[in-house]
Amino acid sequence: MVHLSSFLLKKYHKGHMVIRLALAGHKQANRPFYRIVAAYNKRARDSKYIEQLGSYDPLPNIYNEKLVSFNFDRIKYWMGCGAHPSKPVEKLLGLAGFFPLHPMTITEAERQRALTEQSHTSAAGDSLEEGHKQQEV
Amino acid sequence: MFKVLGERGLPVARLLTPRGGPALQAVRGRKSRTDPPAKSKEGRIKVPPPVDPVEMVVLGERYTEYGLIMRALRLEFKEEVLRKKYEQETGSVAEERARQDTEEHRSLMAWNDAENRRMLRIRQLRVHNETEEAELKKQVAILQREQQMQELIKEKEKEILQLQEEAKNFITLENLDQRIEEALDNPKNYNFAIDKEGRIVKQTVLK
Repeated sequence: MVHLSSFLLKKYHKGHMVIRLALAGHKQANRPFYRIVAAYNKRARDSKYIEQLGSYDPLPNIYNEKLVSFNFDRIKYWMGCGAHPSKPVEKLLGLAGFFPLHPMTITEAERQRALTEQSHTSAAGDSLEEGHKQQEV
Repeated sequence: MFKVLGERGLPVARLLTPRGGPALQAVRGRKSRTDPPAKSKEGRIKVPPPVDPVEMVVLGERYTEYGLIMRALRLEFKEEVLRKKYEQETGSVAEERARQDTEEHRSLMAWNDAENRRMLRIRQLRVHNETEEAELKKQVAILQREQQMQELIKEKEKEILQLQEEAKNFITLENLDQRIEEALDNPKNYNFAIDKEGRIVKQTVLK
């Protein structure tokens, strides 16, 4: 094994460190499971990583909850060493409370709320119209 | 544009598509790079999703705030990492650990020396015993060999004596005539008869 110093390592990998989701157990179809992982940017998504910092199961379990785990100590270490988290990791950590809430989470929630309100008001308006029609008739 | 929400909440694909442009190439599908677009898509003009300016402004503010907080967090983490490393190398705990390590090393070395001396003594004893035994064995072997030599000599002497005795009966050039006459004078008869019960009869017809 060739052991390189950090400078040479940086030149070799030509990329920065990231904290991202990597698909685990990809031999199973239609059953995703992600590992939250610190890896080099240029590596493939599922290939060799430096350290696993948690996991995320996107499918809800029998109690209708999606399970996420974080190793906050090591996440702090890697962030201090200069790792960039990816967007989904940032969103998850924002929902967990370790980071501030991501702006897109908030805007998505607002959009969703507007949609549901619109559909509710349209449904209410339809029912009201039907009621009016019946009264007229 | 938005799918109707079921029990699951946001669909997974939304969480994974990176915002800020199409970063993913289309990996699946039947068409290669050089295939032309389909006839049904002839007059299609691709239009980006509509942007609400109010929402955009609000989003921009939120992003700047988020960026501020994130930068501050990153600096905090960096500081913590550096402080931990410093404490590791030059903290009070490190000094105590170093002292303990040296003491342990010294005690272990002393124990090792004691063991070496003990083994040396045992080894010397063993070597001494072995040399003594070897000497004894050598002596015994020498004695045995001498005894064997003696026995051989005795046997040889016996043989010589026997030969000497037999030599008296040998036929030499001087005895030759005498012996021939004697032999001719005394014919010896070696014939005999024996029956199944073992009775020997020496009386025969002489020639």
